[in-house]
Amino acid sequence: MSKLQIITKGFFKENPTFVLVLGMCPTIGVTSSAINGMGMGVATMAVLIMSNIVISLIKNLIPAKVRIPAFIVVIASFVTIIEMLMKAYVPALYASLGVFIPLIVVNCIILGRAEAFASKNGVLDSALDGVGIGLGFTMSLTVIGAVREVLGSGSIFGFNFMGDVMPLIFILAPGGFLVLGYVMVLFNKIAKR
Amino acid sequence: MQTITNISQEILEAFSTGEVTVVPITLFAIVIGAIFVNNVVLAQFLGICPFLGVSSKVETSLGMGMAVTFVMALSSIVTWCLQEFVLMPFGIEYMQTIVFILVIAALVQMVEIVLKKVSPALYQALGIFLPLITTNCAVLGVAILMVQKEFTLITGVVYSVATALGFALALVLFAGIRERLDVEDVPEALRGVPIALITAGLLAMAFMGFANVVALP
Amino acid sequence: MFVVLFSITAISALLVGLVNNLTKGVIASTEAANKDMAKLEVLPTFEGEAEFELSTKKIGDFDINVTKVVNKSDNTLVGYAVEAPSITKSGYADRIYLMVGFVEQEGETLIHGVKVLSQKETPGLGANMTKADNALERSIKAEPNPAKMVFKVKKDDASGSFDSLTGSTISSRAYTNAIETAYAGYLWATGRLDTSEEAIEAAPTGATTPAEYSDAAASDTATGATVVEGVEGVADNNESEPEAQKGEISNE
Repeated sequence: MSKLQIITKGFFKENPTFVLVLGMCPTIGVTSSAINGMGMGVATMAVLIMSNIVISLIKNLIPAKVRIPAFIVVIASFVTIIEMLMKAYVPALYASLGVFIPLIVVNCIILGRAEAFASKNGVLDSALDGVGIGLGFTMSLTVIGAVREVLGSGSIFGFNFMGDVMPLIFILAPGGFLVLGYVMVLFNKIAKR
Repeated sequence: MQTITNISQEILEAFSTGEVTVVPITLFAIVIGAIFVNNVVLAQFLGICPFLGVSSKVETSLGMGMAVTFVMALSSIVTWCLQEFVLMPFGIEYMQTIVFILVIAALVQMVEIVLKKVSPALYQALGIFLPLITTNCAVLGVAILMVQKEFTLITGVVYSVATALGFALALVLFAGIRERLDVEDVPEALRGVPIALITAGLLAMAFMGFANVVALP
Repeated sequence: MFVVLFSITAISALLVGLVNNLTKGVIASTEAANKDMAKLEVLPTFEGEAEFELSTKKIGDFDINVTKVVNKSDNTLVGYAVEAPSITKSGYADRIYLMVGFVEQEGETLIHGVKVLSQKETPGLGANMTKADNALERSIKAEPNPAKMVFKVKKDDASGSFDSLTGSTISSRAYTNAIETAYAGYLWATGRLDTSEEAIEAAPTGATTPAEYSDAAASDTATGATVVEGVEGVADNNESEPEAQKGEISNE
């Protein structure tokens, strides 16, 4: 696989949300608006790239049997450290992305990529995989968030054009499931071509 | 001298005694709240991956539900004790996520080993689901929520078991619907995960009917 | 095998502890600076140096910090900035911390501004309370006099002064509760909070079940504030008289 392919596969062939069906909890939980989806996507991407790098660096040290607990510890420490550093040195960024960071720990994408890719590949490839999957995830979340925001609150990226007349259900939990389902159908149709 | 009292009794009392009087939540409210009103999957978006993954048959989803209940009950006791007796006294609450997630992973492995030795029959029934639970974010989510909501050990355990039962309920209901869907003629593009998500959306809508049934903590 | 796992855990824990120690001070000072900023943000702008006079009421594990802000150049009172948690109601995830600015105009107290200091509500729903011009803020703008407010969301009780955020009644209740706590804190700091038994008796219940009100209380809450004549009640207050600490900050 070429370097470019590793990056681009995250968009269609191995799109984490629509094809791999990973990380559904944050996908439905935070995509109540486009900007929230994007924020979560970017925060996840940052953690994913770095955890992929670390895992691929230490992959030979870890015995296969304790692989999963070891990965989990590495990822959880990572997320905690990133949260603390952001809070201290980039408080403005933390104010907008902070709420998503603890949610990343329970995102199975990170563990999934550590297990499926970073534990078998080199450092550079793993980092690129993080970029690709992260971009794919960001794209999917932004799209879902945009659809839910338009349908549920009549606005896009915070810009309101409809007033308060839209059905709120799309912002709430059921709307999350519904929109994700229908967007997935559309995605499958487009990706097949 | 006129004094204004549009401030509620609770807050006035708090100011006069210097203590917040916590109105005890009834166990009944906790149970109904966790199973129906704030269903872990359908309202709190936790544990969706196993919800979509292991819900094609009623039988397997029952097994998964039981395994999750078992692990959640155990992990809630252990994490509560850790929070109360280790993390808080030493002032290292920031280690919470790491400690909890490690405890859950270790617990799942231990349960697997013990079950294999002690009760092979139960292991046969639950064994394949156990490794899946490590990555079930609902287990970690509940452990963290329990600390956030300042539950005592008893209410905490009741809460986590009820949450797990809510998970099992959603899973079994969902599996029942999916078994029916399998024999229906679903449009090709919708087959698999999309129709499952749409079904889950409708189920979540039905569960919204439980809102405000009990006063929640 | 276990040695490796143990050492990974140990190294991770060590790193996290190290970073925590490294960032703890920075985080604390940024938060303190943010709070000072927030104090001025919720009050009207003025020219001159600000003088802060802090009094703290401890309730359980919570601190209610009332800061009296005085313009040092002409010695006029700018207002009170009260930092308060939603003391008796939690939001969806955690308690909500607000900074509420009270100004005194022509013998009336008005809420000038509110800033959310910390909240962990759901993004897109409860977290909308941090957005400008949300339903809760609009409710305060519509009735800025806290003495006339009914600290309830309209969804629970039609007489309530607060519209809730769409889809987030729990978060809105907690926000309302924090405003109420802040107002109580302001009254306490200015020596006007009557916590005598009679006053508590006459106060409205803040429960979420409106059906439980006694008839008298219900009719009182419907018209807004209940006015109680209580001379003896004030005597109890002396014990909790705030102790002032002085601090200064320059206002640009």
